[in-house]
Order: sequence, then C-alpha cells, then structure tokens
Amino acid sequence: MDLFPLFLTLKVSLVSAVFTVTIGLSLAWLAARCDFPGKWILDVIIMQPLVIPPTVLGYYLLVVLGKYGPVGRFLNDVFGITLVFTWKGAVVAAVVASLPLFVKPARAALEGVDRNLENAARLLGKTEWQIFRTITIPLAWRGIVAGAVMAFARATGEFGATLMVAGNIPGLTQTLPIAIYDAVQMGDTTLANTMVAIITMFSMSVLYFVNWLTRGKY
Amino acid sequence: MALSFSLKKRFRDFSFDIDLSIGEGITVLFGPSGAGKSLLLNMVSGIVSPDEGVVTIDHIDVFRSSEGIDMPIRCRRVGHLFQDYALFPHMTVYQNIAYGISRLQSSELRRRVGELMELMRLSGLRDRYPDEISGGQRQRTALARTLATEPRVLLLDEPFSALDYQVREKLRADLATIHERYPITMLFVTHDLEEAFIMGENIAVVNDGGLEQFGPRDEVFYRPGTRNVARFIGTRNIFSGRVSRVEEDGTVVLECDEMGEVRTAYGGRVRPARGAPATFAIRPEEIMVIRPDRPIDRRVRDNVLDGSVVSATARGTSHTLFFQTADGRAKLKIEMPNSAYRKVLPFMDGTISVSLKKESIWILPDARGE
Repeated sequence: MDLFPLFLTLKVSLVSAVFTVTIGLSLAWLAARCDFPGKWILDVIIMQPLVIPPTVLGYYLLVVLGKYGPVGRFLNDVFGITLVFTWKGAVVAAVVASLPLFVKPARAALEGVDRNLENAARLLGKTEWQIFRTITIPLAWRGIVAGAVMAFARATGEFGATLMVAGNIPGLTQTLPIAIYDAVQMGDTTLANTMVAIITMFSMSVLYFVNWLTRGKY
Repeated sequence: MALSFSLKKRFRDFSFDIDLSIGEGITVLFGPSGAGKSLLLNMVSGIVSPDEGVVTIDHIDVFRSSEGIDMPIRCRRVGHLFQDYALFPHMTVYQNIAYGISRLQSSELRRRVGELMELMRLSGLRDRYPDEISGGQRQRTALARTLATEPRVLLLDEPFSALDYQVREKLRADLATIHERYPITMLFVTHDLEEAFIMGENIAVVNDGGLEQFGPRDEVFYRPGTRNVARFIGTRNIFSGRVSRVEEDGTVVLECDEMGEVRTAYGGRVRPARGAPATFAIRPEEIMVIRPDRPIDRRVRDNVLDGSVVSATARGTSHTLFFQTADGRAKLKIEMPNSAYRKVLPFMDGTISVSLKKESIWILPDARGE
C-alpha cells in the first residue's frame, strides 16, 4: 500500500493545526476580551465554514487564491508561492475549515477565566503578556487543547474544500480521505478498508489521549 | 503616605462624584449597598476609568484627566483585596504569595515569602491550593500576596464579609498588626456598622455616589452631619422641631410636635435663632429607662416621657425596645444591655418612663447655621 496519502495527511493536519491555533487563539482572545464595532461580522465570517458546503468554501478559496485571484496573484508575484494544486493549498483549506471548531471552545474557555483574577495580577504589577501566559492560558488550557484537537481531527478528515483547492494528484496532493474516495471508486475495497481502519484507530487514540491529558483540576 | 482623589463618573441612572483626601492609617468607607463604595476603590486602583478627575498617591498623579495621565494598573502600586479573594486557583499558597515579587534572588524570595507566611499564620499551608484551605486562610493568603509587592495604598473591598464572626474578629486583629508593621494608607470598605466602628480611625460615609460626611470615628458616630448619616449609623430616633428659646446656661429648648418641649445641651458656636427649624437625633443606647422602684436621679431628670413599651426583641448581648409615648405621637427605639433589661422587665406591662439626657441629643448641623 502506498503510504504517501497517510504521511501527507499527517503533514497537512499538523501544519494546519499550528496555523489554526496561532490565528485562532488571537481571534478567540479578541472575541472574548475586546469590544469593537463590527465584531459580529468577524464572528459570522469565522463561523461560516461550519454551515457552508465544503465545496462552496473550496470554490471561494480557489477564486481568491488562484492564479488570477487577488491573494493568489500577490503571493505569486511577491513571494513566488503557488497555493492552488499544491499541499500548501490543502493546508489553507484545512485551516479555514477547522478554524471555527477551534475558536468556539477556545473563546468559551477564555471567557470562563474570571476577569477579576486578571485584574488581581495587574494589581500585582504584571504586564498583559505576563498575565496571558501565567493566568489566562493556564486556566483556559483545557478548552484550548480540546479546540486544537477538534481542529486537528477536522483537518485530518477534510475532503471537499481540499479537493477543490489542492485537487487529487496522487503522490502530490492526494490526502487520505481523497485516497479512500479514489479506492472506493476503483472498487479496491481492501485498500479502502485498510485506510479507513488506520484513520479510525488514529482518531480514537487522539481522543483518548486528550481525555487522559485533561483529567484533573487545572 | 497619603491618598487623595476627586472622581466623577456618570452612568445612565447613577452618578458618582466624590472628593476625598486621606492620610496614613485606616479610613473606613461606609455606606449602604449600591452607594458606589466598590466603584470608588476600582477607580483608585485603575480597574474602572473615571470620566474625569484626579487620583494622587504620595503626591504622584496616577490619574489626571485634564493632562491625560492614566497610569496603567500595574504601575500604580496599589494593593487591592477583594471580597472573593481572587486567589489564583492553579497556584499553591506559596506560589500565590510569590507571584507579585519580581526580580529577587531565589533565596531572598524564599525568605520574603516565608516571612509573610509566618506573619499571616500560613506557614503550614505552603503547598496547599486555594480550594484546600478555609475562607479566612484564603483572605490571609490574598493579604500576604498583596503585601509582598509593597503597595503604597491598600484598598480593602469588604474583605471579611464572606467570613464567619470569629474568623472576622481574628482577621481584624491581623490587619491591626499589619498596620503597625507596615504603616500604609488603608481604605476599608464595609456596609457593616459594627465593623466600621471597630476598624475606622476615620470614617467616610458614602451614599448614592456622593460623600455625606468624613471625619474621625467618634465625630461621625456621635455628631452625624446629615439625616442620612444619622440613619446609616443607627440613630433611629430623628425628629424635627423649632427652637423655642435659649436659656442662660446655654440649654437650647426645642419644640416638636411629637414630644413637646425638648431640652438640649446645644454646645454649638453660633447661638440659634428663636423659631429656627432644627432636626435632632438621639442614639437608641443613650435613652434611659427609669425604674419605678428607684427615685429619679438628678442627672436623668431632663426630658422625661411617659408611655409604654410596644415590643421588645432580644439581640444577643442586648435588647431592642420600641417605646411609645402615652399620647401615641412619639415612637422611640431603645437599646439596652441584657442586665439592665432584666431589671426593668417586671415593670414592662404598665406605664413606664424614659429620659432623654440633654447631652445625648444631637442637633444636626443643617439647622445650626454653622
């Protein structure tokens, strides 16, 4: 069996999880702690991928990131980066699709931290960054980890948007879910079963690990 | 060390406007719930921004709206104790106390924290988490955590109100010890009258976002400046009347609808005009019940009223009586120690006399022309 789709899926999921957590944590913090005009618009845009069909999301990304799209042309001209039909495109699709699954629990976790505790830390002479590191994150990490795992799992299973943006190029952009689709289409049930078993076991062990990790109080 | 501020803040249905300047020692901020006491503390420490005003700590402006000065909370060096302690739940007692100490060698840090833990009687609780210790221990940890940062001003927002009576008494004693050791300016918020009396060298009475009266404790308690202050400090017997005459020895005789003529030892600087309106008050514990089996003492011969006791309530160490004059026009609240109550108990059912000592009657200043 060709292991490439498995490794590609892991690579795409891990890289996208890093981006999702970094971008998502800033967005969650902004949503939990700041008030600004147009906050609801940001809210709606972040949550959109949860309800919009993945193919529609993929189409949007294709238009924006494509050779003639505004972002795609900029990246190509300035940095020489092409996203469409590369594994990087799959990362972008995974990030956008998994962002709401991270932001929602992370925001709730940050909002659950008593603001009085942050004030107490301010009164003890701490800077905002020190407070974020030593008070907010340690008290909210459970929700943040839960969100990160959900985002990671979503990225592992991402299909529709990835297919639109990165395509189905074996050995280049073919992720595990797409490879499973291919195997089923070609009637190779043994291959499909193997890959399905791998992905199922993997998802279950990740969830078990998280449950084990987040036991205890803080 | 000194703290002075002048703060204004408007809300839709509440406006706050208080100027105050306090020195070293414990000043109690006393007033009913919703008066703006916590808001005041939050504006001094910077948690809430005033619309306009000034906050000066040790002659340094930490806030001055006219010049755009608004020092961040972390730079103000203000200690703030909250009613719910605000301890960091993921840190041990030791870690909580050490949290605010920055840039200290680790041996020096351990010594400092150890010293504070000993001072606050926390030595055996070093590695416990906040949810593993009692309420009193939590507040002591919070106090040690604040003191570790050597604040210039300590704000205490009803710090003991969630604790039971005995713990509260001990903590008050702890606070007095701390005050001896670290003579800093403390602003202590409470809505508990007894606590205000025990803690405060000076008392500021706050009501509805404004300052009603500020002064030494006894002055506020025995010479309330306004009807509201008189009410808050438990002077329930407040009456309105007019000055009917001033006698040679300085006694001012008032005329009021409820009790007729009332003689008072006025003691003010300005001689009141005849016919001037006067509001006067007498504290419930200053009213004397005259025992029919004893002759009336010369000292209690002022303002004797006949009537009956409508109700009596036991209040632990004392009894509260409601007395009504024979004509039913005046009602007085009387408080007396249990021992005195037992002596008058046999006469409770019949007619009974009370005396309002003229020295105990306080004429509120709005009628004094001062």
